[in-house]
Amino acid sequence: MIDQLPEGKSIGWMQAPPQWIFTHTVRFIGVVRVVIQDGEGFILIKKGKPLVYYFKHGRIELHGHGALDYFNSHPTIEFNLCKYTPEEFSQALKICDIEEAVPETEVVPEETRAEPVRADIEEDSFEDIPVISRPVQSHPVHPEKSEPVMDTPVAPVPVMPAAAVTATPAAAVPLKTIAAAPVKPAAAIPVMPSAAVPVKPVAAVPVKTPAASQERVFVPQPAVLEDPDIKIIGQIKKLNGIVAISVFNDDRNILLMGDVEIEPLLKIARTMLATTNKITPHLDWGSFVHMTLQIPEGNVIIAPYHENHLCILTTRTINIGHIRRILRDLQQDRNHDDML
Amino acid sequence: MLKQILNKFLILNDVQAALVIQENGEIIESMKSGITIKEELQEAIATIMLDSRKTAAQFGNAPLSMVFVEFSESFLILGPVMEEFYLVIIAKNSANIGQITYEMKKNQDAIVSLL
Repeated sequence: MIDQLPEGKSIGWMQAPPQWIFTHTVRFIGVVRVVIQDGEGFILIKKGKPLVYYFKHGRIELHGHGALDYFNSHPTIEFNLCKYTPEEFSQALKICDIEEAVPETEVVPEETRAEPVRADIEEDSFEDIPVISRPVQSHPVHPEKSEPVMDTPVAPVPVMPAAAVTATPAAAVPLKTIAAAPVKPAAAIPVMPSAAVPVKPVAAVPVKTPAASQERVFVPQPAVLEDPDIKIIGQIKKLNGIVAISVFNDDRNILLMGDVEIEPLLKIARTMLATTNKITPHLDWGSFVHMTLQIPEGNVIIAPYHENHLCILTTRTINIGHIRRILRDLQQDRNHDDML
Repeated sequence: MLKQILNKFLILNDVQAALVIQENGEIIESMKSGITIKEELQEAIATIMLDSRKTAAQFGNAPLSMVFVEFSESFLILGPVMEEFYLVIIAKNSANIGQITYEMKKNQDAIVSLL
């Protein structure tokens, strides 16, 4: 199904908690293409309303809740926002077998909650959208069904320690390992059936032990960045030589734009931050603006950003003076905001 | 002789100090203008040197090319010269960074020859 969907106009690749998508697409019409390890999927969205969830890994296909739950079982997912024209969107609806004129009443959310919508993503600009409150569907409109494409269907199984799950011989797709699949520990939270997740460990990503996987608790992440923040981050990312930009705090990555693995980058950023925290009290040079570490491959820059921090990965050819001016401006804006 | 080279930095606008320092914080040579290199500053520089080298190593043992730490009033640029020796420039934030880094690269060989 993914291959049949119109391409759309890519706004950019990002890494963020799945919930971020739903709170930042109020005026977005298009498809969010999701990549998790070797699998790929999508969320068809019309103005903040998810219409279809789909994920495919090998011969395994998940629709509706199954796909949504799988997305939600990851603290962050990597995705590409692709905007559709009305024609492309109509085409996508047909491909997904959805009636174009779906009455609102057909959208029967199983759970509805008021949630502040903080931002909205549009094609090339991130316009300021007032904070509004609207009901957000937690579940897709499309009739959800988990459809493992197997010779013998495998029924969803309750969450259990990964080590305790044995591969079902009936599964047409062999279970290579489930250790790398993030699993929520709470049994009440549905998780993609283990046997239906043939996740291959990626060489570059350390494979987590079953115990480690269990400790990885998914907590729905609130959107903590406001519209102007996302606009600023997006603008910085568009500069020549910027490979990736992340907003992070002591606990987690909040937003990542760029095609990099976030964990190694965060580790380095936090090490640099620790260095600045050590030296700042001993220097009476004013407030910390940024630290740039230059290696032959490029630069890593960390800088304070509101109550969080920025980490910018650049090529070696970047104009450091330009970045420096931006960071200084950001800090001046912050100081100005503090004074107000 | 090393002082003469360091003086080339000091004549640049708003540069306050140029020093060659060892990774353990020991200052080999320095030229200053309107700034005192206190023990705390020396320790801070040593921390930056050690931590940055370790951080750079996380990029597949990449050699450290330069470290730049900026505060609202002043900044510090630190570049490895050879082995455990570093050239450190301290300047007011109105100084021209491009000019400083250019001079650092230009004079690196001359500094190495004197160490």
